Amino acid sequence: MRTAPAVLAAALSVSGLTYVAATPAPTRAASGVVQQAPQAASSQVAPPREPGSVRFAVIGDTGTGTSSQYEVGAQLTKSHQSFPFEFVIMLGDNIYGSERPQDFVNKFEKPYKTLLDAKVPFYAALGNHDDPTQRYYKPFNMNGERYYTFAKGSARFFVLDSNYMDQAQLKWLEDQLSRATDRWKIAYFHHPLYSSGEKHGSEVDLRTQVEPLFMKYGVDVVFAGHEHFYERIRPQNGIYYFIEGGSAKLRKGDIRKGPLTAAGLDTDFTFMLAELGKDAMQFQVLSRAGKPIDSGTLPLAEDPKRPAESKPPSVR
Amino acid sequence: MVRSLVVLGFTLFSIHVAAQQPPVNPVAQSMVDFHKRVDEYMKLRAAITKKIPEVKETGDPAKISAREQALGEAIAAARPAAKPGDLFGPDMSVYLKKTLAEDWKSRSPADRKALFEEIPNGLQLKVNQPYPTTIPLVSAPAKLLAELPMLPEALEYRLVDRYFLLRDRDANLILDVLPGVLPSRTR
Repeated sequence: MRTAPAVLAAALSVSGLTYVAATPAPTRAASGVVQQAPQAASSQVAPPREPGSVRFAVIGDTGTGTSSQYEVGAQLTKSHQSFPFEFVIMLGDNIYGSERPQDFVNKFEKPYKTLLDAKVPFYAALGNHDDPTQRYYKPFNMNGERYYTFAKGSARFFVLDSNYMDQAQLKWLEDQLSRATDRWKIAYFHHPLYSSGEKHGSEVDLRTQVEPLFMKYGVDVVFAGHEHFYERIRPQNGIYYFIEGGSAKLRKGDIRKGPLTAAGLDTDFTFMLAELGKDAMQFQVLSRAGKPIDSGTLPLAEDPKRPAESKPPSVR
Repeated sequence: MVRSLVVLGFTLFSIHVAAQQPPVNPVAQSMVDFHKRVDEYMKLRAAITKKIPEVKETGDPAKISAREQALGEAIAAARPAAKPGDLFGPDMSVYLKKTLAEDWKSRSPADRKALFEEIPNGLQLKVNQPYPTTIPLVSAPAKLLAELPMLPEALEYRLVDRYFLLRDRDANLILDVLPGVLPSRTR
């Protein structure tokens, strides 16, 4: 078990408001941070900061085939020039509605064509709108499994099927977490354990099952979708939680800002870029127009069992 | 005469021993019976998947959907007379309904509302019918799943409308239905 970071030092730039928060992490009450979408249109992607860091993009609830998905896809592609992420994680609801071959083309292959052509791999989690047979679709890199793990550099990713958290999956998760010696442990899946969304809200059932394992084995960051907005949750039990379910669908006005909300946006489509360095994760959230929505530095929690140095890069 | 006395003595002893046996836990027995039926289904399924093998990872989604459809049709054809309750069984159905009712009762009004938001309704579902491909797959919630008998990886429970389903995951086929497990939405 690791200890929660004593201080969350995040430099936040939120739709024109810029402030630096030095926050005693989990207990501080939320301030008014749910903001309107910015109006300006220029792209302002910050480049990576550390050589050898693990860089990835985060998109969620994408598979609509609508213009918003394509706009986010174009901006994601554009951001790759300034921030050359190595791979993309998908937080579920990868294909909405019918799953005919042409749906995979229109709702996945075309919107991200440039990235796919550049051999940027996507690693998908299953959402409640996804047929579990998507795990056989090679471009989703699920290796035929509903839940799986993969390693990139100093980080290990645990991809869960939150639609069906049965005892077999929980046992697998504990086994994998207990064996992981990676410096960073990142989990992602579809349903958010914490959320300020009015329509869905926090998945308390799921939380009671998986969060004790995250805490016991030192998971650092958790990404989820399902809610059609972006939200950064105040650290909970020493874990950073993000919701990025607004990469193609939007539920305007759904965030009910409260004690959970550190930042959020429910008025425009978004995606995330993240960089796992030696001691901290840098993140930036951008709108479909490329405007910065949220950004910051999240220090790695103190953990006496964590390896001191990054391991050489490895894949899967 | 002696033989009759021996037989009588043995019979009385047997009755006494039987009376001393702990009663069989009816829930445990229901689970055992349920697992037997699931095992039988899995044997049938294994025979079918020899002819329709698991699809390998592919970039061609047509191959995935073709295999799903072929598997579903073959399983349905192999169980032409399948009807509600065949796999759950009467005892297990009672247990499942009770467990689902207790789970529902334990949930807050906000949680119930959120579940109803998630669960599609207005559907008529039958055994041997493909799960409708245009509606979300809503799982039994994680806390409830922990209370239910474990299934092989090929199978899963799902909540849809007021039904509790047993579904073949890769065949997208409804194997059994238990109706009326959730309250009506008008309540």
